[in-house]
Amino acid sequence: MSELLRIQNLSAGIEGKELLHGISLSVSEGETHVLMGQNGAGKSTLGSTIMGSPEYTVTDGNIYFDGENITNESADKRAKRGIFLSFQNPIEIPGITLSEFLRNALEQQTGMRIKLWEHKKKLKAAMETLSMDFSYAERDLNVGFSGGEKKKAEILQLLMLQPKLAILDETDSGLDVDAVKIVSKGIEEYRKTVNGALIIITHNTKILEELHVDCTHILSNGRIVKEGDGQLAADVLANGFEKYIGEV
Amino acid sequence: MSRKTQVSDIDRSLYDFRYEEDANDFLESGISPEIIREISDEKGDPDWMRAFRLKSLEIYHRTPMVHWGASIDGLNLDNIVTYIRPKSRMNTNWDSVPEEIKSTFEKLGIPQAERESLAGVGAQYDSELVYHNVRAEVAQSGVIYTDLESAMHDERYAEIIRSHFMKLVPPEDHKFAALHGAVWSGGSFVYVPKNVHLEIPLQSYFRLNAKGAGQFEHTLIILEEGAYLHFIEGCSAPKYYEAGLHAGCVELYVGKNATLRYSTIENWSKNMYNLNTKRALVDEGGKIEWVSGSFGSHVSYLYPMSILNGRGASAEFTGITFAGEGQDLDTGAKIVHNAPDTSSYINTKSISKSGGKSTFRSAVTVNENAVGSKSSVNCESLMLDRISRSDTVPVIDAKTDQCDIGHEAKIGRISNEAIFYLMARGICEEEARAMIVRGFADNVSKELPLEYAVEMNNLIGLEMHGSVG
Amino acid sequence: MPKTKLNILPVRTFERLGVNDTERDIRRMETENIIVPDSENQVIVQYKETDTETNIVLEQNAGLKLIQIFDRKTQTVSKLKANLAENAKLNLFQLYLGSDTVSEIITELNGENAFFSAEIGYDLKEDDQLDINLIANHHGRKSVSDISVSGVLRENARKIFKGTIDFKHGSVGAAGNEKEDVILLSKNVRNKTVPIILCAEEDVIGNHGATIGRIDERHIFYMKSRGIPEKKAYELIAKSKLMKVIEQIDNEQVKKHIYGSLMWGDYLE
Repeated sequence: MSELLRIQNLSAGIEGKELLHGISLSVSEGETHVLMGQNGAGKSTLGSTIMGSPEYTVTDGNIYFDGENITNESADKRAKRGIFLSFQNPIEIPGITLSEFLRNALEQQTGMRIKLWEHKKKLKAAMETLSMDFSYAERDLNVGFSGGEKKKAEILQLLMLQPKLAILDETDSGLDVDAVKIVSKGIEEYRKTVNGALIIITHNTKILEELHVDCTHILSNGRIVKEGDGQLAADVLANGFEKYIGEV
Repeated sequence: MSRKTQVSDIDRSLYDFRYEEDANDFLESGISPEIIREISDEKGDPDWMRAFRLKSLEIYHRTPMVHWGASIDGLNLDNIVTYIRPKSRMNTNWDSVPEEIKSTFEKLGIPQAERESLAGVGAQYDSELVYHNVRAEVAQSGVIYTDLESAMHDERYAEIIRSHFMKLVPPEDHKFAALHGAVWSGGSFVYVPKNVHLEIPLQSYFRLNAKGAGQFEHTLIILEEGAYLHFIEGCSAPKYYEAGLHAGCVELYVGKNATLRYSTIENWSKNMYNLNTKRALVDEGGKIEWVSGSFGSHVSYLYPMSILNGRGASAEFTGITFAGEGQDLDTGAKIVHNAPDTSSYINTKSISKSGGKSTFRSAVTVNENAVGSKSSVNCESLMLDRISRSDTVPVIDAKTDQCDIGHEAKIGRISNEAIFYLMARGICEEEARAMIVRGFADNVSKELPLEYAVEMNNLIGLEMHGSVG
Repeated sequence: MPKTKLNILPVRTFERLGVNDTERDIRRMETENIIVPDSENQVIVQYKETDTETNIVLEQNAGLKLIQIFDRKTQTVSKLKANLAENAKLNLFQLYLGSDTVSEIITELNGENAFFSAEIGYDLKEDDQLDINLIANHHGRKSVSDISVSGVLRENARKIFKGTIDFKHGSVGAAGNEKEDVILLSKNVRNKTVPIILCAEEDVIGNHGATIGRIDERHIFYMKSRGIPEKKAYELIAKSKLMKVIEQIDNEQVKKHIYGSLMWGDYLE
């Protein structure tokens, strides 16, 4: 399978403080990768940096997507290439409905006008997959959504936008068992329909149960300290990080 | 790739076009009693109005310049032609409107608005009404919608106009109210009889189109008991090099249990001094709803006042102000609680960009007799860059303990997180900002009829164009 | 003797609202200078009985907790000017117990991370008058102001509180909060509240809130349902407003004095 994302010796940080030190990893089409590590290890920083968050400055190294160097591209251009980030804390934006927002994003990404009724039909189907009440489509984006509803709305966007690579930043955290099931169902649907690649940042076994994990990366203090296959993720979840972090 | 935003397909110059004016009937630039008499002669004013204009001029001369808000030093009153008579006389038939004037309005979309079943169009070209058409059904329900000048000469309305004209905004109020009293010209008169509900909004379109010309239209609306009306005022003016002045006056009388919704989108050209006075007197159980969008002009002074004069009267004010480059927009609302159990809600948004300055100014007064009254003020300001300015200057004055007043004000900017979130979904930065600003303005746009909401969103798009450096 | 206009707002507004009408005949103004050197911390308690001008300079990292009590005495004019350097911290507590007071507080948050908080309480009755003009000028990056005002007006008391947060150009990352809660307990009181925000910088956060009027009836009902009579319930809530300020005073002597002035007998024991 061909390589989709390649991160080469990436260092990044905020206001003169380096948070990622020389990270390298590669994700091919259709693969599922898991990023693990303790709080503050740099997982979210890495996810946001791949998406092009202006909060972090890349100080060294490069990010390639589909063979092109995207290190200095703005987030909207990366989104158009097919990168998606499910935010850990989705932003509330008053005055723009979820439906209107998604239609706008789709039109921007595809460069094509989308008919309203077609959009609503598609949206409704996706919302049904996620057991979301259709009334949420006409509510302002994330405004007054509960934590679980916000996460579902992120997965809904994943299904609608159909990116090549989805980075899920603790999409399962803080959710009850039923909600995790729904999120898992959404991820499965995404894998099935577009054979998209995944980078999953998680602390939870539940979300990984249904997925075949190709590769696990353990981060500590902004460095990848251990890599392995799906078994590594299972080991960490069963026995903790300590022994891997100790290997540094 | 084509950009599917409302930003891209609107040309700002649409709002800034003008046609060359024939030098028709320019009066002398300054203001003297002779000019006032000439205006009266020209209009054939009744005696009381002749006297009223001259008295107002006297008040104008002895009243000091307004001093509370934005600087109006650039305004030279001696240089402003206060009255220009357009070539055409009153029209009720679109076909007989002169071609030049017609195409001006066509660009502004007036006939379209008409086609979309708006009740009537009172369009003011310079200082007089040139086109006026009230649909038959509106007239049949007993609603009077006509121009104020001819109504004054109609014996059926003469007395009601005389007993209401500038009683709510007396010429003594401030210098520009006095000026208005002296030189007012054109404007609408609406009368809605008892218990008549007009479902379709009445619309008027004001426009200034001559160099150095001032516009002093007067709007007088009277709603009898139990009546309902939505009146829409839209303003746009072409760009000019000399400072233009708009000192209009709006007087609204809302009867017992009547409801009046008064919507305005102002988009004066950016050299205009818009010093407008609007006031409503609300009787028992009545309600005034203001929806106000201020986009244009160089300097604006606009604080619609609601006087809640009968038990249970209420006022709602929803407004947005967008100050861009070279603009100093001083806007807000005034409420006077003057009867028991009255209530008021003020909800405003202001946006400052490219060195523009917006000021929210309000005054909520709860008088001794207004026991059981409630007031809530909420204003939010958005700074789009660090060269602009945004001030919030509210005053609350409570003269009784039997009241419940709340005030909230917020100021901030668009968060980087929100922009990144939208960009991460493929929306470019400029459109992301425009989207957030449109969302911010949502409280106003959702109160407007569709075509106005679209126009307002277009205006925001235009203003946001090039916002990313 | 000509009277001096005092407590003028930093911006113009409608004159007929009468927010700039206070004037006084000032005969003698005492001056007091407080300088807190680099990295030092001080606590000062003042009783204000004469017209005074207080000039405060807080050097880098300096901290000052200033408690000012305006007693029930004669007319008082107080002017407080504070200059805060980098990381300086001024915690101001003011208690107005009555009479006729004109008080101006102007704080210049000059340095980065300068911090200013004000807890102001008042209990006014009879023909008491109070005019406060508080201005927090944010110059420094990430400077913070936090202003909280609460009080009670009874009988014929008149009060005007003007509170301005001014974000000057350059105050990147600054934040300002201001809140006033006023309880009105007589139909003859007069309250004016003027909560102003001025802003010439993009990256700032400013919040203002005010609630004016009677105590929420649900609160009164709740207390009544627990056997507290209505009049007592009002007193308790009124007291709670002042206690926010009084609690900050560590000195028992001072507290006793305040309770005496307020005629809060039960707190003296």
